[in-house]
Amino acid sequence: MSMNRLISITASLMLGLAGCSGGADDTTPPPPPPPPPVTVAEAYQFLNQTSFGATEAEAQRVIDMRFEAWIDDQMQKEVSLQLPHLQALPPPQMGMFELQRDRADIFFRNALHGEDQLRQRVAFALSEIMVVSELGALNNQPYSLASYYDMLAENAFGNYRDLIEDVTLHPAMGVYLSMLGNEKPNPTLNIRPDENYARELMQLFSIGLVELNIDGSEKLDQGQPIPTYDQEIIEGFAHVYTGWTYAGATRFQDVFPTPSRQVVPMQHWPDFHDTGPKTLLNGITLPAGQSGEQDLSDALDNIFIHPNVGPFIAIRLIQRLVTSNPSPGYVSRVAAVFNDNGAGVRGDLGAVVKAMLLDDEARPAIPMELDGKVKEPLLRLTQLWRAYDATSQSGRYPLNFAYIVFGQGPLQAPHVFNFFSPFFAPPGEIRNNDLVAPELEIATEYLNTYVTNYMFYQTFALNSTNTSLNEDDVYINFESEMLLAADIDMLIDSVANKLLAGQISDTLRNEIAGMLALIPETETALRAAETIYFIVTSPEYAYQR
Amino acid sequence: MKKINRREFLKTSSAVAAAAAFASTPGLAYTQVIGTTAPFNDYRALVCVFLHGGNDSFNMLVPNTDAEYNIYAASRQNLSIAKADLLPINPVSLTPGSEAFGLHPMMGRLQALFEAGNAAFVANVGPLVEPTTKIEYQNQSVILPSQLFSHNDQQAQWNSLKGANTSKTGWAGRMADLIRSNVANQKMATNASLYGTSLFQSADETIAYVMGQTGPLQFEGFSTDPDNILFDQRLAFQRVVEAQYDSIYERGFADIQARAIDAADSVSMAIRDAEASGAISTVFPNTPLGRQLETVAKLIYSRNQLDMQRQIFFVGIGGFDSHDNQNLDQPDLLGGISESIAAFYDATFEIGVPDSVTTFTQSDFGRTLTSNGDGTDHAWGGNQVVVGGAVKGRDIYGNYPVLEIGGPEDVGGGRMIPATSADQYAATLAKWFGIPDIDLDVVAPNLGNFAERDLGFMIT
Repeated sequence: MSMNRLISITASLMLGLAGCSGGADDTTPPPPPPPPPVTVAEAYQFLNQTSFGATEAEAQRVIDMRFEAWIDDQMQKEVSLQLPHLQALPPPQMGMFELQRDRADIFFRNALHGEDQLRQRVAFALSEIMVVSELGALNNQPYSLASYYDMLAENAFGNYRDLIEDVTLHPAMGVYLSMLGNEKPNPTLNIRPDENYARELMQLFSIGLVELNIDGSEKLDQGQPIPTYDQEIIEGFAHVYTGWTYAGATRFQDVFPTPSRQVVPMQHWPDFHDTGPKTLLNGITLPAGQSGEQDLSDALDNIFIHPNVGPFIAIRLIQRLVTSNPSPGYVSRVAAVFNDNGAGVRGDLGAVVKAMLLDDEARPAIPMELDGKVKEPLLRLTQLWRAYDATSQSGRYPLNFAYIVFGQGPLQAPHVFNFFSPFFAPPGEIRNNDLVAPELEIATEYLNTYVTNYMFYQTFALNSTNTSLNEDDVYINFESEMLLAADIDMLIDSVANKLLAGQISDTLRNEIAGMLALIPETETALRAAETIYFIVTSPEYAYQR
Repeated sequence: MKKINRREFLKTSSAVAAAAAFASTPGLAYTQVIGTTAPFNDYRALVCVFLHGGNDSFNMLVPNTDAEYNIYAASRQNLSIAKADLLPINPVSLTPGSEAFGLHPMMGRLQALFEAGNAAFVANVGPLVEPTTKIEYQNQSVILPSQLFSHNDQQAQWNSLKGANTSKTGWAGRMADLIRSNVANQKMATNASLYGTSLFQSADETIAYVMGQTGPLQFEGFSTDPDNILFDQRLAFQRVVEAQYDSIYERGFADIQARAIDAADSVSMAIRDAEASGAISTVFPNTPLGRQLETVAKLIYSRNQLDMQRQIFFVGIGGFDSHDNQNLDQPDLLGGISESIAAFYDATFEIGVPDSVTTFTQSDFGRTLTSNGDGTDHAWGGNQVVVGGAVKGRDIYGNYPVLEIGGPEDVGGGRMIPATSADQYAATLAKWFGIPDIDLDVVAPNLGNFAERDLGFMIT
């Protein structure tokens, strides 16, 4: 779409603009108020870690409450759920895949408008650690995916031991990593238990491949990392995870995913459980003859008490919410809270989240090169949407194509290894300094262009001045900026305040001003769109401080 | 640049000083030329087809003599392919007419390519640090690649050939670095991916270009017409992404944005020109792999307009991690490989470069010969396909294993120890690509541990 066409589309909509940038009067200014305990910039930094995008209104709430009280308040909020929304909809006409659009819709509704922002953000982080995905065997199981996401949200501030049990027994995970229907060996047919879940629960959800110190560094033995497990241990856990299938199945291999089966924990069938002894971590062997439930409970305990879990989960959560390259001290402090929340409880995720966010390293007054992270592309979108009250005529946000444009979407990872690796380091200074920037794995030339184009479309076309929107088009409302558009500096200030806490670089300001000077001041929508477009595609907006 | 840890980084560098120091960091251009050496006098391209998840390739290339087939069928049980359904092939080095091997029944087009001499297999190849026997494996008296049987680690092994070490570069990336002064005039990166960021192409001095299945996207907010305001917009946008930033994360993001703008126009034009020429009439499967290979064919057609002499393309498909429903899913997966790779070969023939383009597969690992009920688990060695006019085709290289549970190559559950290393496989392709023998150990760091530096499947 050319700018000229946009001008013609929008010109007729433009209201006259009052010149309103006159000088202030000359009365003596009042004495400055005492410095607030939390600045706007600090509140934005905090909210971009703890929500789906900082807004001026929420920043004011953080300033009023201060960080810890805001966190405490958030943890009390009612959980915004997905499954009840899907279950209230009429059954789909063509197939279950239709409901994946509604699942995206309710994800974005909760992300944009949920009161429980911190919980939703932690759930999103967990969904990138304990991955299941619409792309693959679950593509026709929207209820199961919504239920899984709700389970993550409900456990976000609970205990990690409960979380991994709920993850393990959720049928979405059962299908995704093929524990559902996994049965005891049959040597005459060369059949042995499926090792998929056994491997990935340890590698990706809990302890990782090598032994860690509490600060997240690798333990070394004669200079070499020490593997956390071997094939025998994988096989031990694979035997543990035998005998589970859909609750209510009529026979063990009845794996048809009815809507009701998709949303309740898997059920145990003793006849399909291996009853031999099983080798687990740290030299523990489960005795023969235990029930499937007992084996599972013991096995999850065995993982839960592994000393890697604290630093492993600390690093994963810090990377999702705060910074890509936490210092060893920061990891140690958060891992120590995982190990003991101060009341002798191990695995208290609420305490872990709080310790992570209130740590000095999460709250640098002036961020250094290594502080912060690249903002996830989906969060660049939701921050814009929250700042400019995005909605659609239908009230829906059915962006089930998010993973195509942004390289990520709600439970839409390409595989169990998530959208990007925690270890990804792009070539150049980041890699040369042994640092990482996970989000840059999907910031390819291709996807960055896709996101940039979407932002162009979002700002210039999908806005409230467009009279030819489709009912499901998610549009933003920048009419308040249009009232300022005659004054270039005021317009830039206003947008920069909403999106960057006012911290806009001179380069970006000057380039926007230069472009705005090319747009007639009567074209207030174009000026507003141009300003927002340049900011939301800029490196400084892509940076989470 | 010397490596510095976080504490030193914070201590020694203010934002400005760090920005200045990093301005000289290599690798921020697609090709960084250190003196120009002689250009190549021909064009060659390698196309890596990565089969993500771990292809169960012992159902792709199956023994077809009675004795060997019966061992296979006894091991694989409900996952085996009926002997009558196998598509027989006649490797030249075996008794003529013996039909000693067969292909999966969905791989008819690959069978034809093989029989015509334009395709070969490398049997039971996989990551190894040094030659490894079952006894040595069991006694732990041999150095093994780290984290065997793990997806991402074994993908990384294939892509990087790092062996027991850590590596941040891939073997295609190292090739691009080695030849960068020979290809100084190329207007596009030597390495291009149509399947996202890949360690395979990661390098110290050069950067891979990442496009979509059908090529790059154009920036819709930009124009190349100086009379259009979107031309000014493009220039302003470029100045923003080329500015100095204080954070490594801003700089990392800005670098990618800047490179995307630079390359989108010329690469897109090369693809459009190929389409306009009508030179490629081959119909590709309308699948992710088919579309990727069709785009590669177009770029190869337009190679001269970008002054390309050496190219390495990375394409891929997923879905091979067949823990479940293997008998349902495998036919489409293997059929898809066969159809897409054969269409691509046909396109190179149309373009007139069948001898200049070599397509080869990599995959995480082979899969267990035993079943977990309706699927298979992660294993080690597997069979790979190499296709092109420069391939000494119609043959199977390496040693096809005895597919026996508990047999001489099985380390448990039907996990085959590779008899041929991925380093040897890569080095053979690298040598054809034009890497001098002395540099093959840079491409394949463990090559020196193996007797054969060249598996012999390429015409050189």
